[in-house]
Amino acid sequence: MFFQPLDLTTALRPSLLPEEALLFVQDAVGLYEGKYKLPNHQNGHAYLTTHRVCYVDNLEPRKNSVAVELKTVDRYEFYVGFLKSSAKITLHPKAAKPSVTSSRNQSLISAQLAAPSPPRSSSTSPIHRGSSPFPNARSGTSTPRPSNATWVCTICSFSNPVPLNFDPATANSNMSLPPCLSCGIKPSFPHLLKAAISNAAGRRDSQSPNQAPQQPLLESHGQYDANSSSEYTRPSINDSSTPPAKSKFQCPRCTFLNHPSLLTCELCGAPLLFEESEAAVAIGESIGRPESPGPTMNGSNSGLDNDTECVKFSFRAGGEKIFYERLKGAMVQRKWLLQNAPPLPDSYQSSTSGQPNIVGPDGIIRPPTERERTVGIAALERQGLQLRKKNEAVIGSAFEDLDALMASAKEIIALAESFSKKSDDGSTETNQLIAESAKALDMVTTKDMLGSSAGSESLYLSEMSRNLAEYLTDDAKGILRKEGGIMSLVDLWAVFNRARGGVELISPMEFEKAARLWEKLKLPVRLRQFKNGLLVVQQADRTDDKTIAQLLAWLQELHHTPHSDNINWDYETFGRGVTAQETAQRFGWSVGVASEELEMAEEKGALCREEGVEGLRFWENWIVEMSDDDDVNDDGIDVEPVHTVEDMEQVQRNLEDMGLI
Amino acid sequence: MSQPSPSPSSTPFKFPTYHASYPPFFTLQPNTSTLTAQYRKWSRLIQRYCRHHRLYKLSLTSTIDSPLFKNTELKKRLSLQDARSVLEWMSRDEGGRRIEWVDQKGRVVDGRPREDTHDTCWVFWKRPEEWGDVIAAWVEETGQKGVVLTFYELVNGEGTRGEEFHGMDQELFRRALSTLVKRGKAQVFGGEGAEGTKFF
Repeated sequence: MFFQPLDLTTALRPSLLPEEALLFVQDAVGLYEGKYKLPNHQNGHAYLTTHRVCYVDNLEPRKNSVAVELKTVDRYEFYVGFLKSSAKITLHPKAAKPSVTSSRNQSLISAQLAAPSPPRSSSTSPIHRGSSPFPNARSGTSTPRPSNATWVCTICSFSNPVPLNFDPATANSNMSLPPCLSCGIKPSFPHLLKAAISNAAGRRDSQSPNQAPQQPLLESHGQYDANSSSEYTRPSINDSSTPPAKSKFQCPRCTFLNHPSLLTCELCGAPLLFEESEAAVAIGESIGRPESPGPTMNGSNSGLDNDTECVKFSFRAGGEKIFYERLKGAMVQRKWLLQNAPPLPDSYQSSTSGQPNIVGPDGIIRPPTERERTVGIAALERQGLQLRKKNEAVIGSAFEDLDALMASAKEIIALAESFSKKSDDGSTETNQLIAESAKALDMVTTKDMLGSSAGSESLYLSEMSRNLAEYLTDDAKGILRKEGGIMSLVDLWAVFNRARGGVELISPMEFEKAARLWEKLKLPVRLRQFKNGLLVVQQADRTDDKTIAQLLAWLQELHHTPHSDNINWDYETFGRGVTAQETAQRFGWSVGVASEELEMAEEKGALCREEGVEGLRFWENWIVEMSDDDDVNDDGIDVEPVHTVEDMEQVQRNLEDMGLI
Repeated sequence: MSQPSPSPSSTPFKFPTYHASYPPFFTLQPNTSTLTAQYRKWSRLIQRYCRHHRLYKLSLTSTIDSPLFKNTELKKRLSLQDARSVLEWMSRDEGGRRIEWVDQKGRVVDGRPREDTHDTCWVFWKRPEEWGDVIAAWVEETGQKGVVLTFYELVNGEGTRGEEFHGMDQELFRRALSTLVKRGKAQVFGGEGAEGTKFF
């Protein structure tokens, strides 16, 4: 229920909803459901948007990509990672109420009906999951009560008993906690909770090793999660060094078994996280990691329809901190609530008249209906004046600072669009510029949006590559179509940078690198190099053969359409030649591209050239194709090469020298 | 092998259609496979043209403005340089050694084609050895083996009228016979101006 299917764009990025904006992208991310790795979801990109967290698989993006809508997220947790366990961000779903679910989430409702108990109560989750490798984990043990649990005071290290009424499943931070029996300082709530949980987990493990410590709430506490998961898999990975079931961590330097919550070794002071960071670097280098501490869920379903207690994003190549920060921001902003919200009420509204302004359908902010009873030209002029003032105010305040700009972005775009509509009589270039700068506000891949881990440069490039591909194949903009399906890379660079509205411009070198990634990323556009070095951008399915077929079809056509010039040859047999200019005009290519395409066709033998005083013309290649005139083929003329006796002897000698004969 | 031998220029030479109405034919193509095909077409055309007009030697500077290299209809011509490279191709093995460059004194020249030395060439619509075969075949046909025949008799005599080699270039005829001598099929004797030959 938690996962939503995800629509991808042509460039294999999540297709954003209107109003949705991309906040952050990180590669080398794996997905967990509850405690288990989701098969086929272990190597992909995580996209954080204002509305969703999306996972796009690297191998089979169309099949294995899912999204979690932020509005269904109740809480989110951050876990910094430990030893071999990567940093993770955990998303907990809201307890589902039919009123919360949108109509899109029908599956959610049905799932809830099937499992009537709320997901957070500890008696549910793993039992109902058919795909869980531990089918009947803890039936009956609704709330284990640790009777002899202790917590260690952080101040004086005294071991206090956990109060009997402290139930990890229901406890919250508002409970009053008993102070330390020795020093009288109250423990922090998470500390106490951790202690209670680790006690419970330890006991349970010692009772039946097959039982999974499945308690949804427990996983909200990263530190505990690290312990339990590492302890959980250690036997399978490395039996000899298995520590006792009680989770302890061996110091890499002195082998002292430390308490898991310690960051440095108690005995020698060596940093215990050291190993983990090293592991992270290694992982960054090779994302396809051979082993990972988390168990893999071996069920085949991806959890799309399943009741899930929580979802974890595992960041194997870093980037989790920024991701977390941005996620926090997105959760605070709750942009999804704005989806159907009316535009911002504008603050410039008439200190003169108390009427709210009306945003017209064309985006112009209209003054309120005239109160003054002026009529005729004076009224019109006044109206016009007010309108101008209003617009001036909107623009003026928009540029006051960047925040204001973001806030009034919607209005500005509307204004820009209406201006461009109005100035139709003006130069088309200005129009285009305005329209494009308006569109630029949704051009997204910038460097600060991407993780700053080791692979960030390549991530930046691949994201930009996808961004570019999207930009090119966007039907609304129709960049490629306008250019006849092919444009030079330099042109594209100019257009793209202009569309970015003068901010976050891309250097030509990075641009080229990004373009070269298209093929690798299997995107629907391709970069092609003509033999003189000109780089052009094309749809991937547009091959040379197709272009040649197109050219030949056109030349065939010309057999039947006499050129207006006085033609003194048999155009019905041979057609006529075309110049690069004509070709450019015909197919909407630029002249440079047209001449390159023609030369490519010539190279392949489909066309041949005629150099004349009017320039270069290209013809269908009859020189190769056409047989010599029929009546002269048996004329006794011989144009075949000769092979002299000396030649043959030379060949013979050579062969003998090489030992072939 | 017995082609009717029309007297020079009795009937106008019929140019092939690609010469008549295909302008790219007059531009040497950059694509090598197309270029080879083009050379072959030009080679065939030049040989046919020379045979039609009974030309055994071709001077580039004097024929470059002839209808062979220039199509006034199309306002197209093969440039002197391109014509030279066509001939150069024909002179090589891959072109079947259909021409042979000679200098003003009639000596064979080779090496890289230069403007000053490479102007005139033999055009072998039949190479000397092929001419030799034709003559030997005629001698055999007419049962004149072992009969002494003078050069004049063979080239200009009444008996060979209508044969392909009738009226052919003296020098080329001599070369054709010498290929037969080399192969031991004929013997040449007698002095300058009154040579005779005997076929075996």
